[in-house]
Amino acid sequence: MRLLLRILRYQLVTSMIVLFLGAGLFYVSVRYLIDREANKELFQSQVKVRWQLRHLDTLPVYILQLGDSLQLQPVQYPGRPFMRETSMLNLAENEYQPYRQLVFYERSLGQWYKITISKMLLQRQRLLETVVMTITFIVALLLVSLLLLNSWLSERLWKPFYKTLGKLDQYQIQQHETLEFKKEETLEFDQLNLAVTQLTERIAAAYQNLKEFTENASHEIQTPLAVILSKIEGLFQDETLTESQLVTLSSVSEAANRLGRLNQALLLLTKIENRQFLAGTDPVNLVPIINGKLQDLEDLIVQRKISIQTDMESVGLVIHPALAEILVNNLLTNAIRHNVENGKIIITLRERFFSVKNTGKMLNLNPEQLFERFRKESTVSASLGLGLALVKTICEVNGQNLKYEIDHEWHTLTVSW
Amino acid sequence: MKLLLIEDEKALATSIQNYFQRENFICEWASDYESAIEKINIYKYDCVLVDIMLPDGDGLNAVRELKRKNPETGIIIISAKNSLDDRIEGLNLGSDDYLTKPFHLSELNARVQAVIRRRNFQGNQQIRFGKINIEPQEHFVAVEGQEIILTRKEYDLLIYLIANKNRVLTKESIAEHLWGDDADLMDNFDFIYTHIKNLRKKLMDKGCPDYLRSIYGVGYKFSEQ
Repeated sequence: MRLLLRILRYQLVTSMIVLFLGAGLFYVSVRYLIDREANKELFQSQVKVRWQLRHLDTLPVYILQLGDSLQLQPVQYPGRPFMRETSMLNLAENEYQPYRQLVFYERSLGQWYKITISKMLLQRQRLLETVVMTITFIVALLLVSLLLLNSWLSERLWKPFYKTLGKLDQYQIQQHETLEFKKEETLEFDQLNLAVTQLTERIAAAYQNLKEFTENASHEIQTPLAVILSKIEGLFQDETLTESQLVTLSSVSEAANRLGRLNQALLLLTKIENRQFLAGTDPVNLVPIINGKLQDLEDLIVQRKISIQTDMESVGLVIHPALAEILVNNLLTNAIRHNVENGKIIITLRERFFSVKNTGKMLNLNPEQLFERFRKESTVSASLGLGLALVKTICEVNGQNLKYEIDHEWHTLTVSW
Repeated sequence: MKLLLIEDEKALATSIQNYFQRENFICEWASDYESAIEKINIYKYDCVLVDIMLPDGDGLNAVRELKRKNPETGIIIISAKNSLDDRIEGLNLGSDDYLTKPFHLSELNARVQAVIRRRNFQGNQQIRFGKINIEPQEHFVAVEGQEIILTRKEYDLLIYLIANKNRVLTKESIAEHLWGDDADLMDNFDFIYTHIKNLRKKLMDKGCPDYLRSIYGVGYKFSEQ
């Protein structure tokens, strides 16, 4: 979740809690105050009524305020006085309105009376509602405006951060670039940008060094290897060598050959990563390349009794022609090498993808791991373990997508663009 | 036949010289750009092998000089650089072939012979070995006048074997000659065995003696004895 969204969410939740709790508390306290006031008035009325009842014969009747009502009911025995809230029909407005009643008993002239004083609460209730609503509204408005201000401000202040993040996201080590930023007003972001710039500078330099080293080392290895191989070949012609010496020599020769091929493959990988093979603008038609390769590999295909099925449209992808050759070659040889006896290969080429599907053994590895260098299915095979790494690198450099899927005995490698 | 080898690595140069001396070639050696230019200007060679990375100059300049001075000399570039651009530049300058280090001497030998054949006889020179007769231009192979139909691989194999007659050829070098960069596909060398078997059978069916001898643990040798 985005940082700002998270902050906003916390703020929102806190504001809501504060708003509801505050409003509730406010309502309760105002209501308590109003209730206390109403009760006080009722008790004052009670005192007045009592006093009046005792002096019924001597004083003029003046008891209650307007809107209040008084009921006198003769009863046999007195009960406990109590207070209750009730709705009564207001005849003037013809609707039920809330009243608070105080019921008590008083004896007058030897007769017990149940006296009910009713006090209209409507106005107070209205007042309560108005006050609580108004205050709540003001607070809510305040909170909302604070939230809005906050999110707007954050959005503004965090902008440099997102810019830096975006650039880092786009950063590609293979392009040897250093990230540069404009000066920011916020000190922290300025520091961050500076750190990022320095970091990418160091990365670019280290990467460049590594590439150069790999390339130089690979170059320098070729000549001694050529010497080794030529000396071994000279020795092979020596007829005085015994059989066991020849066998030993043969394995030395095999190892040297292997080293040579490995070196070439690594060199090629480095060159591709260094973007020494830049794609043109026109797509390279893969059909002739695939057909040519299938012809080259015919021996292998026939020997392993593999049947090939092609379904191709005359299309291709934008890529350096040499890389297209390597891509096709590696995918096809991979499909042959890891195939089973009497296996099948299905080659599909469409407007937006090229896929090679082959039968093979079940895999223990996660298929994506086979894209890693020197990752092999088995240690027995003579493969260098660089074939798919090369394909992967080619796809990465040219912006194509490479996918490896396994469905039971079917292995599918798809390049899409 | 006279060869000039321009190569700064002494050990490699010695091996190459030894190899071609057995082939009854005269193989001269120039270890730097200066002496190479000197030799080019004085003598005439059938084929020149140039390492384009020399300590005191670009071998490609030697190729240019050679083309100017003596255009009919065959040129094979041997280089540790194998980038496409280098290959294209080398071939554009007029070299006949480009071989990347490390290579098999037998491969170099086969290519040198092909270049000399092309240069000197426009490819029309017949290749003869015992009872076998080959006309490279037509890809025609015959044993005592009877034509033999060979597949492309079998033909390439035969030419390679004859080019390196009386020498032990390793299975790797044969595989690399026939399949190039795909050679590492051969998990085992059954493929070579299949081709060898087929070629041998086709030759012997027409009454050709078995010239091919397998050398235990190493490879094969093609010879008349």
